[in-house]
Amino acid sequence: MNKKKGDKGFESPRPFKLTHQVLCINNINFQKKSLIGYVELTIFPYLASLNKIRLNCKQCLIYRVRVNDYEAAFIYNDPTLEVCHHETKQRNLAFFSNAYAAAVHAVEADSGNGELCIKIPSELREHVEELRGLKVHIEFWLDQPKGGLQFVVPDLEGSMAERSAHVFSYGHQNASRFWFPCIDSYSELCTWKMEFTVDASMVAVSNGDLTETMYTSDMRRKTFHYTLPTPTAASNISLAVGPFEILVDPNMHEVTHFCLPHLLPLLKHTTTYLHEIFEFYEEILTCRYPYSCYKTVFVDEAYTDASSYASMSIFSTSLLHGSSIVDQTPITRKRTAKALAQQFFGCFISRISWTDDWVLKGISGYIYGLWMKKTFGSNEYNFWIKKWLTRVTDYELQNSGILLHPTFPSGKDKESPTAHLHFSTRYPHTLPCEYYKLYQAKAHLVLRLIENRISMEFLLQVFNKLLSLANTASSQRYQSHMWSQMLLSTAGFLKSISIVSGKDIQPLIRQWVEQSGVVKFFGTFVFNRKRNILELELKQDCISQGTQKYVGPLTVTVQELDGSFNHNLQIEENSTRHEIPCHSKSRRNKKKKIPLMNGEEVDMDLSAMDSDSPLLWIRVDPGMTLLRRISFEQPDFMWQYQLRYERSVAAQLEAIQALEQYPTPASRLALTDILEHEQCFYRVRLEATQCLAKVANAMVNTWSGPPAMKSLFTRMFCCKSCPNIIKTNNFSNFQSYFLQKNIPIAMAKQRDAHGLCPKEVLTFILDLIKYNDNRKNKFSDNYYRAALIEALANTMTPAVAASNESRTVEGLHPDAKLVLEEITRFLNMEKLLPCYRHTVTASCLRAVRVLQKNGHIPNEPGLFQAYAQYGIFIDVRLAALHALVDYTRVDTSSETLQWLLHLVQNDPVSFVRHKVLTMLIEEPPIFRNAESTLCTEALVDQLWKLINSGTAHDSRLRCDAVDLYHALFGQGRPACLPLPELGLVVNLKEKKTVLNPTIKTEPGAAVSENVSSTAGGKQSSVGEVVIGKEPGTGTSASQGVKRKADSPPADVTGTEGVAGRQDDDNNEESGKVKVRIRDDEEVDIDTEHDTLASPKTGLEDYPSTQGSEPLGAGQESPTTPAARSARASPGNDHHHEHRKKKKKHKHKHKHKRRHDGRERDRDSLPFLGSPASARSFNSLSMSD
Amino acid sequence: MVEASCFAVRPGRGGATAAENYFAARRRTLQVAASALLTEAGFEATEYAALETLTEMLQSYISEVGRSARALCEHTARTHPVPSDLLLCLSEMGFDVEALPAYAKRTHRIALSAPPTSHMPNTPKGLPTGQRRARPQYIPAHYPEFPDPHTYIRTPTYREPLTEYQVLRERSAAQRRDVERALTRFVAKTGPTYNLFDTDSAAFPLISCQPSPNTYLSALLPSHLAEEAASLDNRDNGITTMGDSENGHGLEAVHSSASLLPDMGVNRPGEEPPIDNPYLRPVRKPKVRRRK
Repeated sequence: MNKKKGDKGFESPRPFKLTHQVLCINNINFQKKSLIGYVELTIFPYLASLNKIRLNCKQCLIYRVRVNDYEAAFIYNDPTLEVCHHETKQRNLAFFSNAYAAAVHAVEADSGNGELCIKIPSELREHVEELRGLKVHIEFWLDQPKGGLQFVVPDLEGSMAERSAHVFSYGHQNASRFWFPCIDSYSELCTWKMEFTVDASMVAVSNGDLTETMYTSDMRRKTFHYTLPTPTAASNISLAVGPFEILVDPNMHEVTHFCLPHLLPLLKHTTTYLHEIFEFYEEILTCRYPYSCYKTVFVDEAYTDASSYASMSIFSTSLLHGSSIVDQTPITRKRTAKALAQQFFGCFISRISWTDDWVLKGISGYIYGLWMKKTFGSNEYNFWIKKWLTRVTDYELQNSGILLHPTFPSGKDKESPTAHLHFSTRYPHTLPCEYYKLYQAKAHLVLRLIENRISMEFLLQVFNKLLSLANTASSQRYQSHMWSQMLLSTAGFLKSISIVSGKDIQPLIRQWVEQSGVVKFFGTFVFNRKRNILELELKQDCISQGTQKYVGPLTVTVQELDGSFNHNLQIEENSTRHEIPCHSKSRRNKKKKIPLMNGEEVDMDLSAMDSDSPLLWIRVDPGMTLLRRISFEQPDFMWQYQLRYERSVAAQLEAIQALEQYPTPASRLALTDILEHEQCFYRVRLEATQCLAKVANAMVNTWSGPPAMKSLFTRMFCCKSCPNIIKTNNFSNFQSYFLQKNIPIAMAKQRDAHGLCPKEVLTFILDLIKYNDNRKNKFSDNYYRAALIEALANTMTPAVAASNESRTVEGLHPDAKLVLEEITRFLNMEKLLPCYRHTVTASCLRAVRVLQKNGHIPNEPGLFQAYAQYGIFIDVRLAALHALVDYTRVDTSSETLQWLLHLVQNDPVSFVRHKVLTMLIEEPPIFRNAESTLCTEALVDQLWKLINSGTAHDSRLRCDAVDLYHALFGQGRPACLPLPELGLVVNLKEKKTVLNPTIKTEPGAAVSENVSSTAGGKQSSVGEVVIGKEPGTGTSASQGVKRKADSPPADVTGTEGVAGRQDDDNNEESGKVKVRIRDDEEVDIDTEHDTLASPKTGLEDYPSTQGSEPLGAGQESPTTPAARSARASPGNDHHHEHRKKKKKHKHKHKHKRRHDGRERDRDSLPFLGSPASARSFNSLSMSD
Repeated sequence: MVEASCFAVRPGRGGATAAENYFAARRRTLQVAASALLTEAGFEATEYAALETLTEMLQSYISEVGRSARALCEHTARTHPVPSDLLLCLSEMGFDVEALPAYAKRTHRIALSAPPTSHMPNTPKGLPTGQRRARPQYIPAHYPEFPDPHTYIRTPTYREPLTEYQVLRERSAAQRRDVERALTRFVAKTGPTYNLFDTDSAAFPLISCQPSPNTYLSALLPSHLAEEAASLDNRDNGITTMGDSENGHGLEAVHSSASLLPDMGVNRPGEEPPIDNPYLRPVRKPKVRRRK
């Protein structure tokens, strides 16, 4: 691939064009979790010489393929199933990530590759030469899919519909190939016709218009016919089948909502707001919603909260809520709004390649941000921007830079832009979740920067232009070459911007998009009284990780006595000092109001300030117009003024953060004032509570009066007549609701001089719980109660040392006893009267963990394990799992770690699997190879297996596992592994660990037959693809059976793995060949299909190993199905030597391979471990 | 003559109360009257039981006369019977009223002595409380007096209600807590539990959790009790205040969305169009294949 995707638009990486696809699923069996169907792709060749078609397909078992009614041979190979084939002892991530990237590349549709390679029957030769259309018909069967489709079949009595059994598709990025054969690329658009035959009690929801629903002849099933005339990428196709309740949106009849049985009232309430979101987007984009209908489906065990597909979104059922729920409402609305934004940019307008993803994510994030600003106000919007800006900068500075638009040098690669990472940024499937999350955030922030540059008006015009072009293109039903207008690329986007706005934003793009890193400033200032000048010093750190140098304009806002003034500084290469003239004389005019930036004039008590200086506060880059982290130093009183009087939320938050460092009565007063200030944005006030607790703790010796916030809370929320009793709940004012919820949590963090929580605070919180009365409230208090429990947990301090055994009821500290009683009561009440989303239970579990950790109650994981099992509500499970992860870390319990890893491998809910890994990554039980009893070879093997083959069905999970491996052992070789044998070389400098795998000979027959179709010379050393091959292609079914029996139960290996296991007894490594490739683009995966099992065996063996009879003979690598690719490392003398030796070695093995263990090989041939020998060996075999 | 024995006060019951004596005396008078009638009719002796029965009949007769006379008078909206009432009632009972004067003037009539005095003289005073009401004039003197006022006058009394807010809140909190604790203890004792402490199984028992299918139902739907409580209040949702969404958009929304998406339902004014949604359309039946 890597054809120049210049401004000329889109060039397909394939020698043919897909125009239409039929997807038909005839039967869905919930009991067996399987489905049967077929697809039919209409394609038009570009080249007369087209002889094979590559498609994407994972997991599916393919019965047969026909091209224009001729049976077609096909081969199936999926290197991602098992990334590193040979039992390498390498075990380091640099090695893995190269191999994985290569494996992904080998099947990536964006590069024109695919798992399934169909040979066009020779009868159609002429047909192709005339470039006439072909119809590729593939019948497939999917059985117990591990990814791509989630079957939810509750264990109940009754029919499937009564049990609310349902199934839906999911995936991380382009993952449609997991459930039907397709060209799984966002850039290959076509029109769709879909048919789903389901039980009469079920509804099948899919993309496009439902044209007809029809009973089957036995009247027991229904067929749903969908057509999607808008050209759409296969990756945006989805399906949900279940006994859904149907709600037609009362405001927009073309919008339909679906939920599981019994939830209709919640669905009604949840979706009341949707039409306003529609209106908003259509208004700002001045473009109507691109599809003729929209469907929202709420499913259980969802993969993510929300995922958007063409004209349809799949949400988690947990987003549903009733009218009495406060906290969930904005969250759900935000999720739905975000999903809807992605309908425009992401589904309707798709991307050309992965490197253009940032544009779509950025635009959808940006318009979603506009919606948020309109709906929740600009304070919320600024808070959100500030939050993500902080998160992005933190991540970049701590971990690695986020590169939005990576360009990969083709040809001689020297420095891949992200070579230092433990993952490849080249494919969406190789990115860690956290990285991708922040990638999207950064994309949105960059879009905001573009807005700053060219104005919102222009930016919206650009969007409108893109949409109208796409709309025009999509209506050209029969001119598929027009459809590329619906694809967006970075270049296309920039071109539109320059056309519409006439501005050149190239520098901005270069700075933030084509380059990773953020700007890091340190600022200090001095006021020069004589010259009435502010001397500002701004230093940049552009050396440490994740930073970049910034040169250009920067705004500094100075609030003086006479008003607020913006100054535009020019940041230049070398100078760090800036002189800013002040406008006001330092002498204060008496009683004069001080004008603020927004024109407001306020009275201030100016006694705190320095009498010589007219400066109230200084802000650097107040508009957040850069991706930066600024550490600015100014005296505490200036921060206090900033907190009190600056109206910008971001400034207030900065001030709060800074005041933590200044625990003085003045800070305390400023924070308290903000807390009480009703005009102040509630989130700022919440932050202030936390900060106030910290300030109070720091001032513990001088603190006078009741604990911080107590009197405030009493004044705001307690009865006038009896101040120790809280008023009956009334949450109709949400600002005070959030404050009421958060103050106790912050209060409980206070400690007295002995490091204990003041008794007064505990009593206070217990009273809050005791007198909590929600009977008159129209809102549920479940979140509030959960917050109170969290507050209780926060009061806990470590118990006087006691061992686990001696922790008895009698020995329980009285305070802990009170707390535990409350927790017990709450937890038990929840069983009888569960609250919304079981927030109270989750909070109780967290509190129990705190008690355990502080040594008040015996430290045991049993309770959490009970709550973490499948069949408990997801939020509760996650809380319990978090406690278990914490337990694993604190107690270094390998048993619990095993329990968790078992869950990762076996849990039916993929979101839970993902979350367990995420939590383990956040709190790793072993830190970067530190000494730990957990750190064993077995664990390394287990994780390696997980990465290598155990998570092949879900790239998100695989990336999580890689991340975990990285968190536990770092990038290099885990320390707990025994030292590698002599000769193993890790070449860290080149960031590619060219360890010599202990490669074995392959069966002699195969070798002699083998002709590698790839030119060995054209590859070099970026990645390594490991290709297994089956030694005896003609293996009979009986062998297959044996194989099955041999393979371990947890075997997730694919074709190759299975094949390789065949002669386990003899030699694990047999039948595997390692290919090193220099240039990904040139990998010829033709060499890989040899891995196919023989026709019948494949069927019985393993669903994904599918072959058909003609395959063996009909391949383009004619000599043998066991072809392998090889590599020569040209111009390397060392290698040459090794090659020779290796040759000998190989021959030796030809003769005695059956009895040679690997160990023996190593012993006899210590020189084996040179980097190149493996590869050179292959080239040798060729030259044979 | 009537046997003397019938008059005899039953021996051994000297402690009979004054009230009993009073009623006995009345009864005796009736009995005497019955005996006199018997004597007039020519009987010389009678068995006690027969006499008793006759007395009873006499009493019933008189009672019936009184009752129907009263009914008649009340029927004519009077409170006091007049002679005509009595006459009517007697004739209704089949009594020949004409014959009554003659009968009254019969010669062999036996004059009865006046009933013994000191009837119902002294009901025990008990504890006289308060002032007894005087009898109204129309009540003959031999009727009993009003009882003590406390026996019939109802004075509704109640304790001063607890209005002190603090106490109320405390009580309600305590009560709720007690109920909850009792309930959870009960459930914990009757089902499987998890114990935080190995040593002491009774302290802090946690009801163990059971995995169940479709957990989202219990997690998302409000529990019934909570729902009942909520239904008492008006269930107006206040969520809209969360955002600054304008309510005025309502109507506009319908129109604008309809005009934006013209290919779906067309709104004709004045006529509520049926919702045209493909998911609401009836399911088509397959064409029936003809069989030979």
